[in-house]
Amino acid sequence: MATRTRLTRSQQLQQTILYPLDWLEERSGIVGGVKYFLFRKVPGDINWFQTLGSATLTAFLVQALTGSILAMYYKPDAKDAYSSIQNITNHVFAGWLVRGMHRWGASVFIILMFMHMGRVFLFGAYKYPRELNWIIGVLLLAMGLGEGFTGYLLPWDQTAYWATVVGININGTAPFLGPFIAQFLQGGTYINADTLSRFYAIHMLMIPGAIFALIGLHLYLVVRLGVTSPPWSKEAAGTGPLAGPAQNGRARVGMTRPAPRRTGR
Amino acid sequence: MATDRLVERRRVFQQYKEDVKERGKPFFPYAMWHDTIMSLVVVVTIIALAIVWKYTTPGNHHTTAPGWLGKLYDAPADPGTINFVPRPDWYFYFLFYLLRIFKWPETVVLGTIGIPTICLVLLLAMPFIDVRAERRLLRRPVALVAAFLVVVSMGVLTYKGATAKEALGSELLAHVPKWAKTEGFANNPKATAGAKLFAVSGCLNCHSYNGDGGHNLGAPDLTGEGSKNRGIQFQIAHLKCPACVHPGSPMPSFAGLGQQRLEELATFLESSKGKKK
Repeated sequence: MATRTRLTRSQQLQQTILYPLDWLEERSGIVGGVKYFLFRKVPGDINWFQTLGSATLTAFLVQALTGSILAMYYKPDAKDAYSSIQNITNHVFAGWLVRGMHRWGASVFIILMFMHMGRVFLFGAYKYPRELNWIIGVLLLAMGLGEGFTGYLLPWDQTAYWATVVGININGTAPFLGPFIAQFLQGGTYINADTLSRFYAIHMLMIPGAIFALIGLHLYLVVRLGVTSPPWSKEAAGTGPLAGPAQNGRARVGMTRPAPRRTGR
Repeated sequence: MATDRLVERRRVFQQYKEDVKERGKPFFPYAMWHDTIMSLVVVVTIIALAIVWKYTTPGNHHTTAPGWLGKLYDAPADPGTINFVPRPDWYFYFLFYLLRIFKWPETVVLGTIGIPTICLVLLLAMPFIDVRAERRLLRRPVALVAAFLVVVSMGVLTYKGATAKEALGSELLAHVPKWAKTEGFANNPKATAGAKLFAVSGCLNCHSYNGDGGHNLGAPDLTGEGSKNRGIQFQIAHLKCPACVHPGSPMPSFAGLGQQRLEELATFLESSKGKKK
């Protein structure tokens, strides 16, 4: 628009609505960032298996949310832990649901981590330039298993107690560092009331904080480096323009059918 | 060679970026739509598991009876008794069973720390071990076989861990009179009390005694422990802090039992002079 004209009502409305977004964009660039995230291109042949990563993220967010709610009622103290779990399960409104979701969400989270890792492995998606993201993923897997181990003690029932006794002793058998690790986990020379609050702090603060940070890095690298095509795809990104049948001289047999690829890899 | 590979890698990645720009589709709505559906499936699955867990638990909800997905909770933690097999959550069963494969004391550390550490290091190092650019599975036979073996062995270990059976404390308790007779401490009430404690405190999850129990984590057979004449004070000190007496011992402390019960247990051990022929 070359000259200043009176804005129509709909334009005025639009400006009013967009004003906060413009304000935010001008000061943070966040709107552009979200737009880039949403409208970035992904290969056209991506597969259902490639939803496992976001499914894992969803399971983690379920854990974070239900865990925060549980923390409002749970008492990390050897005297009260067990009765607070009973209270959550039997008296708190929908407490059984939140606890059940946290308890079984953990299993789902861990299964999904392994499946996501299996997918990345079978797709060869850890190869250049995505090596670093694979390493971050392995660290996330270790952290996830650590959450499983520390969370298991918190109900402070017989299963929890004795499984943790054995678990800590296993850590204790490690050469050199073992005894120190065991001592650190227990908060003493044997498992006691301090162990519970220690596990609670590790389970609630230390590991989740690390997981959040690592997931942030993981996603940043996914967006920066892009998603891989399924390796068997005949139009896999990274193989150049699609070759027509006529100049398909170097066609190779792919996973399922002859792949019209132009360049070898 | 190495530089050639680097040049080629960079070229392929550049090509990838161009291909995606040219023929790709935007993340929103295409990929995001699939992601959303999958995430919903995940959330619904988790809610369904929680519901099944609660509503298949029999009786009122102050019970420790198991439903389809196991107990809502067990009896409160008690450092003094253990009349069941300590078990981690199911996704640790593969590690849990790995320990049982290594029965000899010198090799236990392989099962507890060695193999898991090696696996973790291999996983971390994977992108540097497998540096070929080839991604098609049938052209990566080593990777394919390795993946297959890992899945099968983890599956087998998980299954074996889930079905592993140990005698329960209540069943072992019934063996106390037999022990007393064959080991010859039937006339010693303190030793008999200690034997009962021994049966229910999970000792036999690792130790073997008079034909009962397992050989796990390299725990020695205790049938003839008393014939070594180490003395009650030694036994008590060892029970309180096994690693202080035998550095590196994976055995947990039983100091939580209290002095009286420790004395009973120690008397029992010292009275166990081995099976009479």
